[in-house]
Amino acid sequence: MTDLTAAAPVPKTSILTQDKRTKRRNAAEARFKAYGLAAVLTGIAALILLMGSILYNGLSSFQQTYISLAVELPAEALDKTGNRDPAEMRSVSTFGYTPLIAAAIEQKMAEAGVQIEGLSARDAGALISKEAPAQLRNYVLANPEVVGTTVTFNLLASGRIDGYYKGRVTMESALLDQNISQAQLQLADAFRDSGTLVTGFNWAFITSPDASDQRPEAAGLGVAILGSLYMMLIVLALALPIGVAASIYLEEFAPKNRWTDLIEVNISNLAAVPSIVYGILGLAIFINFAGLPQSAPIVGGLVLTLMTLPTIIIATRASLKSVPPSIRDAALGVGASKMQAVFHHVLPLAAPGILTGTIIGLAQALGETAPLLLIGMVAFVREFPDAPPEGFFDPASALPVQIYNWTQRSDPAFVERASGAIIVLLIFLLAMNALAIFLRRRFERRW
Amino acid sequence: MDDARLTERHLSTDETKIAAKGVQVYYGDNHAIKDVNVDILDKTVTAFIGPSGCGKSTFLRCLNRMNDTIDIARVEGDIRIDGEDIYDKRVDPVQLRAKVGMVFQKPNPFPKSIYDNVAYGPKIHGLSRNKAELDEIVEKSLRKAALWNEAKDRLQEPGTGLSGGQQQRLCIARAIATSPEVLLMDEPCSALDPIATAQVEELIDELRAQYSVVIVTHSMQQAARVSQRTAFFHLGNLVEYGETGHIFTNPEDPRTESYISGRIG
Ligand SMILES: Nc1ncnc2c1ncn2[C@@H]1O[C@H](COP(=O)(O)OP(=O)(O)O)[C@@H](O)[C@H]1O
Ligand SMILES: [Mg+2]
Repeated sequence: MTDLTAAAPVPKTSILTQDKRTKRRNAAEARFKAYGLAAVLTGIAALILLMGSILYNGLSSFQQTYISLAVELPAEALDKTGNRDPAEMRSVSTFGYTPLIAAAIEQKMAEAGVQIEGLSARDAGALISKEAPAQLRNYVLANPEVVGTTVTFNLLASGRIDGYYKGRVTMESALLDQNISQAQLQLADAFRDSGTLVTGFNWAFITSPDASDQRPEAAGLGVAILGSLYMMLIVLALALPIGVAASIYLEEFAPKNRWTDLIEVNISNLAAVPSIVYGILGLAIFINFAGLPQSAPIVGGLVLTLMTLPTIIIATRASLKSVPPSIRDAALGVGASKMQAVFHHVLPLAAPGILTGTIIGLAQALGETAPLLLIGMVAFVREFPDAPPEGFFDPASALPVQIYNWTQRSDPAFVERASGAIIVLLIFLLAMNALAIFLRRRFERRW
Repeated sequence: MDDARLTERHLSTDETKIAAKGVQVYYGDNHAIKDVNVDILDKTVTAFIGPSGCGKSTFLRCLNRMNDTIDIARVEGDIRIDGEDIYDKRVDPVQLRAKVGMVFQKPNPFPKSIYDNVAYGPKIHGLSRNKAELDEIVEKSLRKAALWNEAKDRLQEPGTGLSGGQQQRLCIARAIATSPEVLLMDEPCSALDPIATAQVEELIDELRAQYSVVIVTHSMQQAARVSQRTAFFHLGNLVEYGETGHIFTNPEDPRTESYISGRIG
């Protein structure tokens, strides 16, 4: 006791006032939190900007302007022999249908009492997409009995007219534009007032194939979506079993030595190889050496499989590693073989991680462009590929390549299409990531 | 220590179940078990005691070849169960482990239902011909593990949802469901509270009637309570082996004596 009282008096401090050290520490913490918040906000702002610009540019591609016309389909022009045989009616090309549309427009103008100075019949006809005669012909060939009657069609308006109602084309810009005149825009306005010109949801954007430079209004993603789907099927069917088998072998069975270390390092390296390198590899091996067809989903699928494998292997090995060793001991302890321990106990616990890794790998592959350019998937394809498996060897496009392709074209209407395609691609990616999260939640079990 | 209780305990058999001769274990360059000779008796509880890191677990894992799963581990010497060399080339360790069950330090039930935990071993070894037989095995094993009353109404619930002591008894039930002849237990009570420990110890004493039980423990009280024979390990050597009562009252080796009196370990 005496010792204690004799010691130098410790100055009494109050916990109600902060000392210098505490103040400095708190200030540092506050600064760090501010930096973190700023970083997060920057990220969010960039994301909003990106999404905003894509949606702003692309959403309108899901709307399309149509011109509703009653087209007379005279038998003498379309079916000269009169026996409604589609095989014979094929001899009438799309050029045979163009005058029918022109006549329908003229009639419509007369009905509505529209008179516009300096507008030739040809110009009036140009309101309709160059794709429309083909639309008409396909319909007639599919339904030969309509010949001789008058049928009302919603025909695609031309890209400029479509753009006029989306704000891309204005009266001023029409002055400088050889493809559209003010008179044509006035006619469009007149049609709109009379209810002839309508807008609707653009299903054709999702279902129909690509179209040539002159007809952006007809361009769709059908072939690209199908091509991407085929490639994803191939990647899933090849990369998942190969990747999981390789990971299980490396993680559970292979001895840990210099060779397996080397393999492990190289798998990590492969995951970092630029994707275009896989494209060159695919070109050399699958097309030049194995002789597989260019532009075919099978080649794209194989290349993307190679690209996805490291991702799947790394994810699978990580989730196998995260299964507690006590589970393996428990299984081996009751006399399970190594394989039984892995397949009955370890794999089910690792499944959510494996699935998540696979889906993320697939999503990466879905958005991959560079390797596909090298194997010729950038070609202009209007024919839908057949159903699998033959369809795997037919030419097809892919979503990211289609986007790239459209951004290269001169007509500004294609910019809208490209942004629309990006939205479609993003929806697919978000759906896949949502599935990954769902699967992880669903199968995640505690132990 | 309750000496009277120790000495009144008699050995039920003198038949050797496991005979180990000149066992050496290396982890890489680390010589973890040095020339151990020991005869483990049937229908007896044998305790391995010793300071931690002395090789008790390592030696225990030799008896069902669990060391095979560690790449760097190398086992030498001769270990026979009922006269058969378990390291013989013809022996499949998987078959051996059905005969020599193991219970681990940390309760490690499968993340499956209680029923599936117990039924797994019999299923993979084909011990039942139909569901009814399997049900019977599960019930018998759970009864032997003194878990039946607590578990019978929740057989389909996850085994991981049980308390620590119940989980460990579930692991014991799982181990005895394959009808082993030897039961190895590596510090089975170290993760349990005193009440659960008492239950498991009682269970071990009952299991002795059918199995040869080898238990690793760092608690000398526990060794004294449950075992008939005790082996004292020190730095990879088997220092002393004999009747539990004898070891605790009359240790021959000075190292054993200082460990028991609390001077090493
Ligand atoms: N898996 C392993 N790899 C390498 N060394 C190990 C391994 N397991 C145990 N050892 C070593 O073997 C010796 C004995 O360990 P162990 O048998 O676990 O002791 P105890 O169970 O008596 O505490 C220790 O020196 C330990 O470091
Ligand atoms: Mg141990």
